[in-house]
Order: sequence, then C-alpha cells, then structure tokens
Amino acid sequence: MSAIFRGAFGYLFLVFIVRTAGRRPGKQMTPFEFVLIFFMGGLALTSLVGNDRSFTNAMSVVMGVALTHLAVAVLRQRSARFGRIVDGTPLVLLKNGQFIRETMKNMRLEDDDIMAAARDKGLKTLDQIEYAVVERNGEISVIARSDDSKK
Amino acid sequence: MAASSENTSVGDSVPKINDDLAVGSDLEFQRRWWKFENVTWWLFAVIVLMDILGCFGRGPLANAKVQTPDGTMKIKYERIERLSTPSLITIEFGGSAIKDEKLQLLVSESLVKRLGNQRVVPQPAVSRLGDSKIMYTFPANRLPASVQFSLEPSEVGISHLTLQVPGADEAKLTIFVMP
Repeated sequence: MSAIFRGAFGYLFLVFIVRTAGRRPGKQMTPFEFVLIFFMGGLALTSLVGNDRSFTNAMSVVMGVALTHLAVAVLRQRSARFGRIVDGTPLVLLKNGQFIRETMKNMRLEDDDIMAAARDKGLKTLDQIEYAVVERNGEISVIARSDDSKK
Repeated sequence: MAASSENTSVGDSVPKINDDLAVGSDLEFQRRWWKFENVTWWLFAVIVLMDILGCFGRGPLANAKVQTPDGTMKIKYERIERLSTPSLITIEFGGSAIKDEKLQLLVSESLVKRLGNQRVVPQPAVSRLGDSKIMYTFPANRLPASVQFSLEPSEVGISHLTLQVPGADEAKLTIFVMP
C-alpha cells in the first residue's frame, strides 16, 4: 500500500519540480531539458517501487499514479486557480513589434526561441510577427502580422 | 435531445490583449509564481547543500563516534540513516571487554526490529534473546577486537539503541531514520 502512496506523492512531486524547473517542454524541448525530464523520472522510480519488484506492485503503483493524475485533471477543470498553479497561463512574449523582456527573462527564453517558432510558421524575420505567446504546454505560438497591421 | 440544453454559445470568455488576441494571460499571477519559483530554487539549493553535508544521512554530519566513559567500547555509526539503505555500526572493544576468552555484547532489540540488522561480523557463537535485548557472545582472546553490524533500517523515525558489555558502561545511541 505504501508504494501506491509513494507513487502518488512521487507524481505530485515531479509535477511540482517540472513546473518549477521551467516551462519549455514539448516542441521547445532542447536536449538538456530532455535529459532533465528522463533523468528525474528514472531517479524517482527507484525509490517509488522500493524493494518490491513484483508485477502486482508495479501495476498497483501505475494505477495509483493514474488516479492521482485523474484527480489533478479534475481539480484543474473545476478550479481555474488550481489550473493556473499546475499549468501556468499563456504569456505574451512579443506584441506590436516589442519584446516583453520581463516575461522572456523570467521564462528563460531568447529571441532565437521566438525566431525558431516563427520559422516553423514560414516567417523569415522577427518583424513579420505580430504576437508571440508561450503557451501553457511550453510551445511558442506565433501570429504573423496581417497586411493591415503592417501599415 | 437532453444534451442540447447543456450547450452554451461561444462568447468572449478568454480575456484578450490589445482588445485583439484572446490569450487568457494572467501576468499578475505569473509574477507571483516567478517570486515563488525564486524562493523554491533557493530552498532547493539549501536542501542540496544540507544533503551534501549529511543532514539527511550519508555525509560528514551524519557520521558519529561515541566512546563509553570506561573506554570499553568505541562506536562508529551514522546518527542519520536512510530507510532500507545499508549502513554499518562498528564497535571497537578495549579495556576489560574480554572475559574467559569470550566477548559479550548486550544490545537492544531495536537493532533488529527498527534498524534492520542484516549481518554481524564476525558471526557470534551464541545469540540469546530476552528482556527486549539480545546478547551476542563472540569467542575472543585478546584486544583490540571489533564487531560490525550491517544495518538496513526498516522503520522511519527516531530509534534508540543501547549497547553494553555486561558489567561495563552502557552506550546509548539515538539514530534518526530518514524516509
């Protein structure tokens, strides 16, 4: 039974660590962040399973973690505040040709990161961007300037 | 049919920036979160430093040595242990520990029950239980002599361990087992 609680605690702890470590997973994940995620997962695993290497224990822990995940998802849906704590909120990095430096610095993002997302959208230069937003999943959404806004 | 009554029309439920782009950003919340993140990073740094020093076991601050007033035993142990993690208690005997070519050591049952004693080196000739204590008897002829217990703690929290050569001073150890 304790393994199930360890699993649930480990899940919540890793969610907290990953949330605190910064939001650049998904498309923006660089090799060192990739290592961070898998390394932390591997380290946490050894203590979660403990000495009990049985199939029963593994399945119980997996189901315990799944239920914890479900509880977090339900809470996220019911409480906007909890959702913001778990996922954060989308943040504007660039608008009207201006970088929002406070956000970029705190999110540890560089101009290059925005340009990479812009290239993905087929844009050639930063000045073709009207808005750049770092989404809750860490991806950077880029909205190109319309012809009206260029004038 | 009943489900259609639960549908809602699309509205401006997501706040916009520049009255243009619906982002739903909450910069004030994010500023508070960044402050919290900074505090958390410092906290992590302190925890890592404490861990290196051994505040949570396995480091210089966790290692301890104690000697009985009469010099019968010098004990090296870890005052902070970790659950299910191997460690050693080494006892060096001196003074008049050996009597009639044998060395006796009386230890509290917590050595086995809470601290999970796995092995005693050298193997005692006799182990006798009683009165919440265990008496180990080792054949011995001269000093210095030492005995080592291999532990793997099975319970979290404070454990009190007493060790004594019968007729000599007792050593009382307090060991904290981390989860």
